[in-house]
Amino acid sequence: MKNRKKGLLAIALVLSIVLVAACNGNKNNDSSGNAAPASTAGTEATQTAEASQSAAPEEIDPLGKYAAPIEISTARSMTGSMKFPAGDTIDNNVWSRAYLDDLGIKVKNDWTADESTFEQKMNVSIASGNIPDLVPVKAVQLKQLVDANMVEDLTDVWNKYASPLTKQIFTYEGNITLDSATFNGKLMAIPAVSGSFDASTLLWVRSDWLKKLNLPEPKTIDDVVKIADAFTNQDPDGNGKKDTIGLELQKELYERNTGYAGIDGLMFGYHAYPRFWIKDASGNLVNGSIQPEVKAALLKLQEMYKAGLIDKEFGSKDTNKAAEAQGAGKNGLHYGHMWNPLFPLNASRDNDPKAEWTAYPIVSVDDQPARPGITQSINDFTAVKKGYAHPEAAIKMLNLFVNISNDNNLETSQKYGKTPDGIEVFKFAVLRAGLPNGNLNMHLSVTNALKTKDTSKLTLAQKDTYDQITKYLSGSGTTAEWSMDRIYGETGSFRAMNEYATKKLDIYNEFYGTPTKTMAAKQSTLDKMEYEVFTKIIMGDSIDNFDKFVSDWKKIGGDEITKEVNEWYKNK
Amino acid sequence: MIRLSPGGKIFVVGNTIFLFGVSILCLLPLIHILALSFSSSGPATANEVKFWPVDFTFGSYKFIMHKSEFLTAMVVTLKRFSIGTAISLALTLLSAYALSKEERAFRGRTLYAWIFMLTILFNGGLIPWYLAIHQTGLLDTIWALVIPNGVQVFNVILLLNFFRGLPKELEEAAFIDGAGHLTTLIRVFIPVSAPALATITLFTIVYHWNAWFDGLLLMNSPAHYPLQSYLQTVTTVRDLTLISSQSLDDLKDVSDRTSKSAQLFLGALPILCVYPFLQRYFIKGVVLGSVKE
Amino acid sequence: MGIPLLIREGGSSEPMQRKKTMRQLPLHLMLLPALVILAVYNYYPMAGAVIAFQNFTPAKGIWHSEWVGLDNFDYIANLPGTLRVLWNTVFIALMKIIANLVLPILMALLLNEIINNRFKKIVQTMIYLPHFLSWVILSGVLIDILSPSTGIVNQVLSLFGVEPIYFLGNNHWFPFVLVASDVWKEFGFNTIVYLAALTSINPSLYEAAVVDGASRWKQTLHVTLPGMLPIMILLMTLSLGNVLNAGFDQIFNLYSPQVYESGDIIDTLVYRLGFVDAQFGVATAVGLFKSVVSLLLISLSYLLAYRIANYRIF
Repeated sequence: MKNRKKGLLAIALVLSIVLVAACNGNKNNDSSGNAAPASTAGTEATQTAEASQSAAPEEIDPLGKYAAPIEISTARSMTGSMKFPAGDTIDNNVWSRAYLDDLGIKVKNDWTADESTFEQKMNVSIASGNIPDLVPVKAVQLKQLVDANMVEDLTDVWNKYASPLTKQIFTYEGNITLDSATFNGKLMAIPAVSGSFDASTLLWVRSDWLKKLNLPEPKTIDDVVKIADAFTNQDPDGNGKKDTIGLELQKELYERNTGYAGIDGLMFGYHAYPRFWIKDASGNLVNGSIQPEVKAALLKLQEMYKAGLIDKEFGSKDTNKAAEAQGAGKNGLHYGHMWNPLFPLNASRDNDPKAEWTAYPIVSVDDQPARPGITQSINDFTAVKKGYAHPEAAIKMLNLFVNISNDNNLETSQKYGKTPDGIEVFKFAVLRAGLPNGNLNMHLSVTNALKTKDTSKLTLAQKDTYDQITKYLSGSGTTAEWSMDRIYGETGSFRAMNEYATKKLDIYNEFYGTPTKTMAAKQSTLDKMEYEVFTKIIMGDSIDNFDKFVSDWKKIGGDEITKEVNEWYKNK
Repeated sequence: MIRLSPGGKIFVVGNTIFLFGVSILCLLPLIHILALSFSSSGPATANEVKFWPVDFTFGSYKFIMHKSEFLTAMVVTLKRFSIGTAISLALTLLSAYALSKEERAFRGRTLYAWIFMLTILFNGGLIPWYLAIHQTGLLDTIWALVIPNGVQVFNVILLLNFFRGLPKELEEAAFIDGAGHLTTLIRVFIPVSAPALATITLFTIVYHWNAWFDGLLLMNSPAHYPLQSYLQTVTTVRDLTLISSQSLDDLKDVSDRTSKSAQLFLGALPILCVYPFLQRYFIKGVVLGSVKE
Repeated sequence: MGIPLLIREGGSSEPMQRKKTMRQLPLHLMLLPALVILAVYNYYPMAGAVIAFQNFTPAKGIWHSEWVGLDNFDYIANLPGTLRVLWNTVFIALMKIIANLVLPILMALLLNEIINNRFKKIVQTMIYLPHFLSWVILSGVLIDILSPSTGIVNQVLSLFGVEPIYFLGNNHWFPFVLVASDVWKEFGFNTIVYLAALTSINPSLYEAAVVDGASRWKQTLHVTLPGMLPIMILLMTLSLGNVLNAGFDQIFNLYSPQVYESGDIIDTLVYRLGFVDAQFGVATAVGLFKSVVSLLLISLSYLLAYRIANYRIF
């Protein structure tokens, strides 16, 4: 009897440990990456490389071909949606052949990884001292590589080899682009041209509801509140039930993180810039989160929430969850980005062919114009491994892409850009860059062509968009074509974006360096506190908590960070 | 076995209804997901799909399965769990047999047992683990997916307890016949352990079937991804903040709810099919281990 | 760990000893392959845990990163709200441990009363299903059914005149939602274990009880439960090792700023720390802390299991 019990217990026990283990076992996969031994790149290699470089000076030609082909290794990030023409692979495609034929550069992919794990894989690569010649990295990784002296200074080769067109692209937004990869005055990597302008905040409204309820287009914050009120209380969907939501928000609070349904737009309307570093009257940088303008905006949000004009349950909804109301035709007002018609507004259109959405420039609470803030900093870079003999090869590859992508020739475009059957082969290029105003130009050219019916001046990509929009306008378009019209069309989101551009309304985050020491240690704590306090105030907590938040913020590390940020600002 | 009193009948009916209710409660979410996977993305995004597909379509399944990678990945997975299960089973049998001895018959077994146990509690993190695999030359080979995790400590503990519960006479008789440890294990222990072996085989298969992260990290090209890793790549939600002018087109793939559901269902389906079948052994494995005197 | 296992047979003679050593050699050899794998892929990487004492950056590697002693531990201990986070973690984890112990027992008892084997098997399979669903998916479902305005739960409550409750936005309710949904997702497995234990209780005990005139309730009380008691104790002691694991995936997908106060746990804290800047050292320090606590508790379990239930876990 005893034995039986024992044996039984044994098995039962073990089964239960399996459970415990199953819980523990998953931990490895989380974000908490860990340790590593590593050998940093030897310094001798560097010296010999430098020696050989100065010994054999080359004629400077941005697209010069190496007589004897050189090899360059790299690592590639892939997406599941990437398609290849028959026979091609990531190792052998139209771009790898172009590099070899036109430049004499043989690209070797050390490894490829799905974009979801690419950053982690690069981390282990860096830790094992095993980085390829061309290293695609994130901002944090670049800083580590620079600190460990593992990457080449590209200042000289950039100045010498970057073609005029390439330079134009990289200075289009001023110094911000190149500065983001500059450490102590040296360019240590090629930054991705972000087109951060595209991340401006817009006010999206169900315009068919606006018409139905006889409401004016939004011009002020009061209009927004009025619209939210009408959308909540006047049964815009006409089903006789009070089941619609005024303003949609989601639990991340800021749409700059999600591109959809945040409070940023309303904050900007109050000239408040939470989480921005902005210049104060004396020329110093201050943090936007703790300014009195934020308090005023929060108060308005609280008032709206109390009046039932904001989704009651936004506090527990993520982007997808918040977008459901929109798709179901229960919501018609939010702050978001220019691409919202592709997601999630397309669902709204899918479910209700009468649904019409229009983007407006954000509106102000007073007679000062509302200026959208842009905080997006550049996070993707390509560095060159220290000691690699031909750092200029990277610039040449970039030049080649810029050259080819600006060649408005059907054959070239179909060969190197998008094939006739829609495969985006341009994604195979190792280094890519384009003018950050590409989308705005698209809108301007396409709308102009729609007016004049003259498509001869359109680039091929623009023509493509033009065709989609005309198809929609002719009444036979699908939701996808409707989306293109809502973005690039005459009354598309870029109409408002163009207004920002022509009036130069955008405000940029003044701090775009790598995180300072205290930031690295304390920022997540401060952010968490901010989320908690702001959310609770909107949902009804006393507004006095804002003042407490400000003093806590300063105490916990905010003052320290402010000091460091200003030091950075002065030495920039 | 059960003798009903009059009041007991009411209890049985109530109990049956209750258990039925609980089962339904557990089943509904899966039906919801199945319905989602066959719906088109508009209604799915609007949360209009409950337990029946809206705008029925095979689109999500086509999206996931239309590529040649699906088959390649399937082959890798089959390889992975056949080799992996074989390795794991062999190692588990050997270790469990040795560790099932009492300390007096095998000095040091307790120390060994703790050596096994500690690996569950402590780990050095992702990077050193990756380096170990890199340095032993397994990177980008099928072996990286089956050798480093070859010792499934919990399975070892499960089996060692099962062995411990077997009648001592079995072993003694074998020794008297002059059989060594290995022969005893193969000729005597394994034949009577079918249910326990079925149980740990199930665990091992489930483990290898579900693992996706190691495939993504340890393989150097998508052609070597096992199925779950591949499925992960086709349905990962793209980071919306990274949308730039060049990737605007990719947004069309973002509305992922339906394909995510299809992925989930495809991923769980084989296990769901195998599970009820193996469950019989599973229960037996537990019971048998305990019913010897 | 030096429990009863060091008992040796006294007074064996020299040749006897040699023969025994020879007899044991194959056992060592049988363990060898597994030990090699553990040494290379578990113990060797474990050395990486030293970065808990470093300001680690991958580019510098383990040997060149700056040593900072206990700074990482210090840093965590001094973050505002660390105590709160620790409390949340232990509170949620303990509740889960208890609920995951008690409810499956009840379920197993009820299931054991079912005579129809097919029905029993179907129920067993179905209650195991939620285990396969990820929290990403389940969180969406939970937000729907718990919604104060449209959720089915609140609609049922309102029938009884209860005001709608914002389960996911209320610091009082949030931990209970976590526990309940976790039990629902995972109770199938434990139920099967208990059920197996139940079916193996010697039928003659029930027969004796019936002869004594015991009702079914009495039988449950005096035969079934005592039969299961050792397992219950053992599962309990074992799960102690989980007392710092409150379930990252679940909480990460369900929590929001309004319930940070009651739902923020060690793992979510570390996640946020890692998100802003790759603070490998800090993350490892936390991991190490959790491992040590788990080791202590598992050792304690091992001891308790032996003392109370006279059973060695491994």
